[in-house]
Amino acid sequence: MSDTITIEVPEDTTADAVELVELVAADLLVEDVSIDGMCGVY
Amino acid sequence: MLDRPLRLSPDVSVRPEPFGALLYSFGTRRLSFLKDRRLLDVVQALGTSATAREACATAGVTPEQLASYDAALVRLLRTELLQEVA
Repeated sequence: MSDTITIEVPEDTTADAVELVELVAADLLVEDVSIDGMCGVY
Repeated sequence: MLDRPLRLSPDVSVRPEPFGALLYSFGTRRLSFLKDRRLLDVVQALGTSATAREACATAGVTPEQLASYDAALVRLLRTELLQEVA
């Protein structure tokens, strides 16, 4: 089940802060993992 | 992003899971978790949809949820799991 979260951004929010909010929202649905170096895993 | 035609990158393998899906790119060696089953439905619908927005509609994404799915698709595009159709 997905969580629905409403994120309110103040009008004076900077572009960097808006991008951060967007990344946080993206993190709710997508999580990345790097498996480099996992040699020998079968 | 939503009005662009997107496709799953050809070197990406998709494994549906009860929580959503695992996506693995043989090209970038990146493993990603889709933590929402509906996002998997969106990704799978991209192949038969003219735009990402259409794929979201096909998967039943509500207007209120579009922003979150848009952000997720942007992330998948940036990490090369999705690609824009030329």
